[in-house]
Amino acid sequence: MASSGNDPRQPSTAKPYKPQPVHPDNLPVDYSGFIAIIFGVAGVMFRYKLGSWLALIFCAQSLANMRNLETDLKQISTGFMFAVMGMVTNYLSPARAAVKT
Amino acid sequence: MANRRSPSSRFFSSLLSPRGDTLLYLIALVSIFSFFLHHISISASADSHFEGFELEEEDDDSSFLLLQSSLSDLPRRSPPPPTTLTTSSHPESHHGPPPNSNSNSNPTSPDSSDSDRDLKTSTVSSSSSFEFWDEDEFEGFPAEETVTVTPPEVAKDAKPNTPDETLTLTAEPDEITEPISLTKRIRSYSIEITCVLFLILFTVNYFIGRKENETLALAWAAKFASKDTIFDKNFSLLGVGEGDDSPLLLKEGQNVFKFYASGRRFCQGLLATMELKSRHDLISRLYNLIVPCQDEITFEVYMNEDCMDHVVFGLAKRKAAKAMQKEVVDLQRFANLMASGPNGRKWVADEFTVITESKEVAGDLITETVVDQICLLLSKWQKGSEHQQVFGEKAFEKFGKWFISMHFSDQHQSTHRKMLVVKFAIPDANHMAEMTRLVALVPYYIDLIGRYKLSSQARSKTEAARSKVAQEVYKELQNARQEALQRKKAERRKMMEEAESKLNAEALRKREAKERARQLKKAMPKIKMSRGA
Repeated sequence: MASSGNDPRQPSTAKPYKPQPVHPDNLPVDYSGFIAIIFGVAGVMFRYKLGSWLALIFCAQSLANMRNLETDLKQISTGFMFAVMGMVTNYLSPARAAVKT
Repeated sequence: MANRRSPSSRFFSSLLSPRGDTLLYLIALVSIFSFFLHHISISASADSHFEGFELEEEDDDSSFLLLQSSLSDLPRRSPPPPTTLTTSSHPESHHGPPPNSNSNSNPTSPDSSDSDRDLKTSTVSSSSSFEFWDEDEFEGFPAEETVTVTPPEVAKDAKPNTPDETLTLTAEPDEITEPISLTKRIRSYSIEITCVLFLILFTVNYFIGRKENETLALAWAAKFASKDTIFDKNFSLLGVGEGDDSPLLLKEGQNVFKFYASGRRFCQGLLATMELKSRHDLISRLYNLIVPCQDEITFEVYMNEDCMDHVVFGLAKRKAAKAMQKEVVDLQRFANLMASGPNGRKWVADEFTVITESKEVAGDLITETVVDQICLLLSKWQKGSEHQQVFGEKAFEKFGKWFISMHFSDQHQSTHRKMLVVKFAIPDANHMAEMTRLVALVPYYIDLIGRYKLSSQARSKTEAARSKVAQEVYKELQNARQEALQRKKAERRKMMEEAESKLNAEALRKREAKERARQLKKAMPKIKMSRGA
């Protein structure tokens, strides 16, 4: 190793890593979660199977891109609920009627 | 982390609705409830309709025909009438599922051949109405009707029981009905199949892509941040944690990795952020097939306050440089695009554009070693020596293509003002050595800028510019403050006016009442006067 004059390292000035606070506006927007909710609502409202499936897919994407556990999970769970609800209305309701008769 | 949560939740809640997720949940519950109600009512009405219909049908055929003509616009709901076999007329067989009537009839009867022909023609002609034949629709039918309305698979089971002579006859329609029912059934589930397949692919890709990103990030760390490498020789503290065994990389999301180093002269620390492609995300991956992107790494060097002179400098490819000059605030305020390099010396290649506050800074920062090292090419030198040109071009292709941008400034608009920001693209894990020279630029520039002192002439210029900008900023601040004050004042005045007007209204009412009273009084004496008179 070179002499101390040539060595750029200065252990005394070392500072441990501090994560910088991120401004809420600078956070990346979770578009996929938002799209999932929109598709989910559409799937439920119009009994549109494809909408519910797309909502499920975008839920998966949102889940894969999740960075922050708590806040993102809230949105994803909302989208997921709408997707599942669409599935229930689309697939299970006729069977329910059959059971009834 | 904790201070990231609350603001982001605020953001999302403001994005979705003023009440946040609770409102959505409420809507969800209400809509579930309403839809269930809706379904129950629909199925109940449908059932009653069919029951009544069947009774009438059994009573007499004429009423059935009448009914059927009225119901002919609802082909999917009408059950297959038993009369189809006896009449074997085409328009009637059009309304029910032909294979069922076939299975229902006595298979050994001589009529079967006739009915099969009938079936064949109907399956061919009514393939369009066939698509309406949804199994789900018939699940809700009464039990006695399921005998007549058997799904296609029952029909298939019934056919092998037929004697040989009829088999030869039924073989033809069998060939037609089976593939249709199969393909039809597959087609009816095409959405589900594709979506489930996509989800499976997505999951598989998630794990594969995550692994790929991790290997790439680890390859980078092994190349530049392990023992006896560039960063180990330049920084005393490596990694995001404390202690010697701290992890080198911090994973933030599936495609963002951070590397931190500290303990070096002239700077407080260095933060490298790797933003890799979203390999874990199949949708982004498909999107990137159309719009390709690169793996990028951004080095942010936080300089010591006393170690950086007035330097505002940027270097990027031509288009990116123009965008930077327009978008980045400090470059916009202090720097200009530099049209041409100084004469008589090596300069950067034509692909790059320098943005700088003064020519002196640019000249001092783009040293010959830098130009040589990363071979950012040069026009003058090219002409001078044929050999160098070839070498330079080759070297540029090899190293320069990973270079994206540099931005050194003492006026950054973030928490730390004096910062060097350097951006490179990351080659793939096997060619990591190609960016070694570029990474070596980072400590080189830390030393260069740490030692750099402007000449007094340039310094006076930059100081003037800074004080001017500072004044402008101060003025803007003052203006904003004054505006805010004025707005407050106006609001207060408005409030006062409102209160006053309220008071006024009351006062007016009082005055009016008084006036009326006075006028009454005035009127009274007149009468009195007249009386008195």
